[in-house]
Amino acid sequence: MVNFEANNDHYSTVSLLGQCWDGLAIVHLAKHIPSDKMVAIKRFNMDKIKEESNLVEHEIILTRQLQHPNITRYYSSFVIGPEVCVVSPLMAFGSCRDLLNTHFSHGLPENAIALILREVLEGLDYIHKKGFIHRALRASHILISANGRVCLSGLRYACPIIEHGRWQRQIHSFPASTARNLNWLSPEVLEQNLQGYNEKSDIYSIGVVLCELANGAEPFAGMPTTLMLIEKVRGAAPQLLDCTTVPRDENNEIHGFSQDQANRRFSEGLHQLAALCLQREPKCRPTASQLLTHSYLKVNRRGLQLPDLLKPAIPLSDRVAQNTDELANLDTIQRMSDLELYTCEWDF
Amino acid sequence: MPLFGKSQKSPADVVKALKEAVNSLEKGDKKAEKAQEDVSKNLVLIKNMLYGTSDAEPQTDIIVAQLAQELYNSNLLLLLIQNLNRIDFEGKKDVAQVFNNILRRQIGTRSPTVEYICTKPEILFTLMTGYEHQEIALNCGTMLRECARYEALAKIMLYSDDFYNFFKYVEVSTFDIASDAFSTFKELLTRHKMLCADFLEMNYDKVFNHYQRLLNSENYVTRRQSLKLLGELLLDRHNFTVMTRYISNPDNLKLMMNMLKERSRNIQFEAFHVFKVFVANPNKPKPILDILLRNQDKLVEFLMKFHTDRAEDEQFNDEKAYLIRQIKELRPAADH
Repeated sequence: MVNFEANNDHYSTVSLLGQCWDGLAIVHLAKHIPSDKMVAIKRFNMDKIKEESNLVEHEIILTRQLQHPNITRYYSSFVIGPEVCVVSPLMAFGSCRDLLNTHFSHGLPENAIALILREVLEGLDYIHKKGFIHRALRASHILISANGRVCLSGLRYACPIIEHGRWQRQIHSFPASTARNLNWLSPEVLEQNLQGYNEKSDIYSIGVVLCELANGAEPFAGMPTTLMLIEKVRGAAPQLLDCTTVPRDENNEIHGFSQDQANRRFSEGLHQLAALCLQREPKCRPTASQLLTHSYLKVNRRGLQLPDLLKPAIPLSDRVAQNTDELANLDTIQRMSDLELYTCEWDF
Repeated sequence: MPLFGKSQKSPADVVKALKEAVNSLEKGDKKAEKAQEDVSKNLVLIKNMLYGTSDAEPQTDIIVAQLAQELYNSNLLLLLIQNLNRIDFEGKKDVAQVFNNILRRQIGTRSPTVEYICTKPEILFTLMTGYEHQEIALNCGTMLRECARYEALAKIMLYSDDFYNFFKYVEVSTFDIASDAFSTFKELLTRHKMLCADFLEMNYDKVFNHYQRLLNSENYVTRRQSLKLLGELLLDRHNFTVMTRYISNPDNLKLMMNMLKERSRNIQFEAFHVFKVFVANPNKPKPILDILLRNQDKLVEFLMKFHTDRAEDEQFNDEKAYLIRQIKELRPAADH
């Protein structure tokens, strides 16, 4: 087991991978020098972060206290200059959202969805059993490694079920800074009424994520927030788009959907799973561990490898990730902004 | 005896089994692997008695009372904490959850576990040194903060020599441990207003000597957090005496004036909230007044340009305008 030290000198930055946390953090591909292993380093510029600085702390501490193959690991975290850096394993396929954006704009192949869902549920079951609600399940929080391991991230929005020394039956707190996650949240979380919500709200989000992975688009995208809420409270739920659900007019024409989506057919099991998760009444939704025993997920898919199913997407390696120009630019911007210093000197 | 399934173990049985397993884990003999398993299993049993699970209610009050009594009598809480580093990853968290639940136990207005820990302060000292060990630091942190909610326990921790180790813990290189330690440190210094005020007054020199180091830390997060906490401490009316003392010292003023010019905008902003107290003080000692007078024009000019983009923050702008007016009107004190 490699020891990833909390020491910036042990990592050399290779390239820029992208941004996360709404642009509050950047992600670098880096090499851990003592072991020669590639890692991802998230860098939060704490001087730019205001209300969310508690969330940075919360996410790091919570993630450090969870250990499961399907939950993102943070090897170590340290402070360098005004930045908090978090070292984690490289997830070379990026997030499911990245995959949808780059190669699968109409959705992932069904077998890939099944493999991803299984691992997501394993991770979620662990989170629930340890007494937390995730509250931000979405394709962008599902990461995939080069060998097809699926990990949940985004734990900054998670909340404990255990409060005041008790396992709470209902939670009432509304997640902070969650504007971007509203489309995935369950009706009961959004309603913010006295009945509160529990871990079953994550199961609703699983249903929304299933539709996102299958259809490619963010569910409720472009819909005004209030309308989205009304729809969910009425019990209307997103659907998996295939020949059984894409509407056709009297001339058998389709509008607003791709031929792909209109012609394919997802299996009955997947439709069923999505419908189970998206039930309006939380009590009716299965738990994560019950979902894992659903016949659809029991199908033997042992011969299938997620990386094969994700082709033509290829995992990032240190060879394909050479965008050093961008890195140099970023460095320059950083240095320029450091130059704005106050010149006045006090007279003591 | 039920025919099928396991019989419910009594609290005494579980505590006894857990104690034996921890003892054998401590010895590290060849049965250690089996002991590890037994520790984890029995911890889960106790945790489930106290919390229930997602589909089972917690045990009745009588069972919980028995369990608590067994835990006190067997001295198991201390033993678990002393051996925390030997217990597996999930087991460590279970220890913290069991501890935190038992701690909250109440009989009427009494908190029997708090009374028990008062007689066994090693529990607290062992937890505090937990910050020195990466693999148990966060677990100890959750237990310490739970303890800090009780004034009697907070007092023991504040007045112990070990308290000053926090100045070291909040600055360790691992960010998650440092910030967890800072949360505990802050809880201890702010939770019980009267206790904290008395403590700070009686130990002013020692505490603020140490505190100075945090404000000068090379670690940005430590510097920012400690500066923010300093502002909160000084502006809390319970700490009036401490505040008066702090703002009479010209070195403190110099430090804040330098921090106003730091590169980081957040640090500038937090420093402003301490700096304003020096200016607003109606009875400025001569050394303070002298520094402000020597820099009168510079300060006015500096403050005019200070964080002008915070137009929407009304309170900040009012305070800034007030400071500018105050500084403009400063006159040397008449010589006596």
